[in-house]
Amino acid sequence: MIKLFNEEYDVIVVGAGPGGSISSYYASKNGAKTLLVEKSQEIGAPVRCAEAVPDLSEEFGINPHPSYIRNKIEGGILVAPNGKKITVKGGKTQGYIVDRKVFDKYLAIRSANVGTKIAVKSRVVGLEHDGNKYTVIINHLGNLYYVKAKIVIAADGVESSIGEMAGLKCKKKPTEICSCAEYEMTNVKYLDKNMMEFYFGDICPKGYTWIFPKGDTANIGLGIIDSKKKAIDYLNEFLENPLLEGRLDNAVPVEFKCGGAPVGGPIKKTVGDNIMVVGDAAGQISPISGGGIYFSISCGSIAGTVAGEAIKQGDYSEDFLINYEKQWKDKWYKLLKTELKYKKILQQFSEKELNALADAMDDNLEELEVSSLVYKAVKKAPSLLRYFKDLL
Amino acid sequence: MNVNIEKCGYCGACVGVCNYFAIELIENKIKIYDDKCINCKSCLIVCPLNALYL
Repeated sequence: MIKLFNEEYDVIVVGAGPGGSISSYYASKNGAKTLLVEKSQEIGAPVRCAEAVPDLSEEFGINPHPSYIRNKIEGGILVAPNGKKITVKGGKTQGYIVDRKVFDKYLAIRSANVGTKIAVKSRVVGLEHDGNKYTVIINHLGNLYYVKAKIVIAADGVESSIGEMAGLKCKKKPTEICSCAEYEMTNVKYLDKNMMEFYFGDICPKGYTWIFPKGDTANIGLGIIDSKKKAIDYLNEFLENPLLEGRLDNAVPVEFKCGGAPVGGPIKKTVGDNIMVVGDAAGQISPISGGGIYFSISCGSIAGTVAGEAIKQGDYSEDFLINYEKQWKDKWYKLLKTELKYKKILQQFSEKELNALADAMDDNLEELEVSSLVYKAVKKAPSLLRYFKDLL
Repeated sequence: MNVNIEKCGYCGACVGVCNYFAIELIENKIKIYDDKCINCKSCLIVCPLNALYL
């Protein structure tokens, strides 16, 4: 593997999560000589995620492969603090629960199959910008390697260090991080084996609690933001919550996972000369759901394609790479910003207000687009208008 | 800032809020650089497991 570091590259992608593997896939496919660098010794591990992924076949040609698909999801059940259940089916609520360890490797292999070179256990410890390229300093097994690339794609996830090294403001505020903890358990009794469950209220301040059926197991976890207690404390309390009475009697954990979801909205600037930032590092993640895989893959596909075009044109300046920012913003900026506004309001809701909102909603819904859901609820319960009047 | 490795889940959330490059996650170990840390406690707030302490 060391000989990989003796070469120069058109593109070096840092981080082999979905965003990085997809970026490198499209860069390679568009003719760029591409190196994907992963700091861990294993791509896909440790998992920091609840593992729900929408269908990616039509848009990205990533067909649901039995090696990583663990369960098919038809929708979600939202549970208000007062116990009211709202069932949402169809559209974007459909998808899969995947095994991220296998899924992430699958995407890396898919990228390798179109020519991407991959270095694992290789940690980027510095970037040097010289003229029209970057020297990427890589620590591999304790030795430093200086590898040149015309373009760096920072896909280093919540850690957000690579873009920050390049002078882009990538680091997050503590209030922008949803702090998550999760047990994967077996012998869980599901409400419905193909429906995700979401719980809201004081059991998980400013976040939500989830139960995602994953075939033989379920991911049971929650996320909180800047709370008195830690995510793990709320999670252990939830497992004893009367809401789940009888459902976990024989349940035992087979894995513990934790992580931070950067749900504060996209960072201001995702490109500079010779650099682009994608995925969690760029804040390309739903501020409401904390789901980021779809956005990472969508934005990563744009970044990789633009990188390939930049190499063909011989222009790696910010002026050219801004095409990436323009394209991903055209697609997602408005949605992410809208979600962010609604999230900020919903975060302040007391249990009583959450109940009122839930009571104003139909029991069965066919979409999960927040602005139209709120609009319908406000029509039914005009007392809710005061919270959302600036948005509707 | 210090880390209790018995509690740490090596998720990297703390790294994401450190503006001073004072924390690094190397495989499953958190490394804190005292010379860079200003004890701003951002990392402490986001840790899901209460693994960080002053």
